[in-house]
Amino acid sequence: MNLLIAFEVGLREIISHKFRSFLSMLGIVLGVSSLVATMAITAGIERGTRMVMQQIGGLERVGVTKKEIASDELDFWTFSPGRTLLDAIAIRSSAPLISHISPEISEYASLATAWGNSGRGISGVYPDFFTINLHELAAGRFLADTDLENNNRVVVLGQLTANQLFPGQKPPEMVGKTIFLNQIPFEVVGVLKFYQNEMGPGGRPGGGRRGWDPYRGKNETVAIPFTTLFYELKSGKFPQDTPSSVPLQNLFLRIGDLNYMSEALDQVRAALEVTHRGVEDFDFETRQDMFDRIEASMRSTRISGGLIAAISLLVGGIGITNIMLASISERVREIGIRLAIGARGRDIFIQILIESVTIALIGGILGVGAGFGLIQLLMWLAPGDNVPLMTWSSVVISVCFATLAGIFSGIYPAYKAAGLDPISALRYE
Amino acid sequence: MPDRVLRLEAVSRVYRLGGQEIRALDKLSLEIFAGEFTAIIGPSGSGKSTLMHLIGGLDTPQEGRLEICGHDLTEASADELARVRNREIGFVFQSFNLLPRFSVVENIELPMIYRGLGPGERRKRATALAEQVGLGDRLQNRPGQLSGGQCQRVAIARALANEPSILLGDEPTGNLDSKTGERILEMFRELHRSGRTVVLVTHDPEIAEVCERVIEIRDGKIRREYRNR
Repeated sequence: MNLLIAFEVGLREIISHKFRSFLSMLGIVLGVSSLVATMAITAGIERGTRMVMQQIGGLERVGVTKKEIASDELDFWTFSPGRTLLDAIAIRSSAPLISHISPEISEYASLATAWGNSGRGISGVYPDFFTINLHELAAGRFLADTDLENNNRVVVLGQLTANQLFPGQKPPEMVGKTIFLNQIPFEVVGVLKFYQNEMGPGGRPGGGRRGWDPYRGKNETVAIPFTTLFYELKSGKFPQDTPSSVPLQNLFLRIGDLNYMSEALDQVRAALEVTHRGVEDFDFETRQDMFDRIEASMRSTRISGGLIAAISLLVGGIGITNIMLASISERVREIGIRLAIGARGRDIFIQILIESVTIALIGGILGVGAGFGLIQLLMWLAPGDNVPLMTWSSVVISVCFATLAGIFSGIYPAYKAAGLDPISALRYE
Repeated sequence: MPDRVLRLEAVSRVYRLGGQEIRALDKLSLEIFAGEFTAIIGPSGSGKSTLMHLIGGLDTPQEGRLEICGHDLTEASADELARVRNREIGFVFQSFNLLPRFSVVENIELPMIYRGLGPGERRKRATALAEQVGLGDRLQNRPGQLSGGQCQRVAIARALANEPSILLGDEPTGNLDSKTGERILEMFRELHRSGRTVVLVTHDPEIAEVCERVIEIRDGKIRREYRNR
């Protein structure tokens, strides 16, 4: 039988029993909406994760952190100089699997221009700092090796800081201007891009939203050459230190190839054992643990949402089966007439199956709408970083599941209807 | 000699009801030829309904042979029977048996749908048939909006949809007042005159009078058979 006509017949049945059909659709509506919502929520978490990845420099970034030394090594701790520039030099020369090394020192300083002033932690950095943290320029340039060799008084600003010091000015206008760090003049050589989430300017930009902004730290950057910071801001306080003995604030590494993560870390460990004179007072901080946690939470969201969806679809399917059985016993005579004028069992089978699929499809479409509403509700209840993201593929997948539920729930009633005996069906009152 | 459209050969059909055996048809033999106008009469319980089911391809015999338009249906599958019902038989029932949620034209189209005709051709033929039975202005009406006589005319148009070899009426005037029944009967006569094979199953002797050939059934056997005029 013509499929289109079967659809039409199905629709006619549904319309003539609106309320009953609607009730039988509810389970499918619920199942599909929770499926859509679950997929949107996990997509939102994924996007949030990507955002955080970008902010922290990806999985390739590894921090060398301080570690409390074991009690049996306590006697030796004074032998170790801690994390210094010498570590960076050692890693560069003996750990070829490390592609970038960024030692940082920092000092708090006052910042002032003719237009504004502020106070910030200033970072003394090497050029690799910009690569490891995935910085991008709005105007000007990054710091260069010559800046470090000559202890140049140059600075690269993040946009939040720059806007405080140069209110109302554009990044290109800021480049070349002078700012004072603790009254010492520095030339602005670069201004970084304004980092914000993927929702773009029309969404909620990094500064003006509730909750944690992963880009705040990046946007508040004040970076000057490592050596400049040491000589201009630090050496006065610690006269006995040299640039290579001053304790580092941060030491970040970038691993060239993630597939060789553990080998790379072994190389670094070997290098640091020498500079730290055998004392294990350092540790590595990788992002793997964090992403494992995010993965786990996404998995549990998927499982719980998927379970709700599966149960709802099952219940919805049973509801449709029930309604189709009721509809058939109401229409035994109609089926008898169709058989008498030449319908084969399979024509009746297809007709009933299509009716149940039609119910499920309408339920699925309503479910997509309900899922969309659910997402809006979630966004209103809990605005945050992991804003749910509804994708077309999730809509298609959900509707496919609804169709499948319709097919499965229609099989038994369709089989029953197709097996009716024409003579007794015709006599049925 | 005209074509033989129906052949029953020593056909038996036995029902079991509560341990009791009811022999609805008992070694009955019957032949019907193209262009004949036949009435099958008998009181209720005579076996005429069972005979009608066999002629209409709704059932198969337990013993004997059944042949409709050259198709041997003695051991036919359900699908083969459906095909013969669709192409060779046009049913007209006592209670019309139209689909209540479908319009006149859609009801007439139904057999053509199962035959696999395209929508354009279906609609064209169904409209022509509706006009032929005098319902050209009621195409979009539902059966509930029609009188009994009009419903039966829709049923006749539906029965003619696939140009069947046998037009089979089961008490076609039973649910109609005598005047309307007369007109429906006249319609069958006209169809017969235009060359169609008509078989009417009835208990009404007045209908039998109109037919050329009358077969009287009793206790599952042909009691007598005669021709009018």
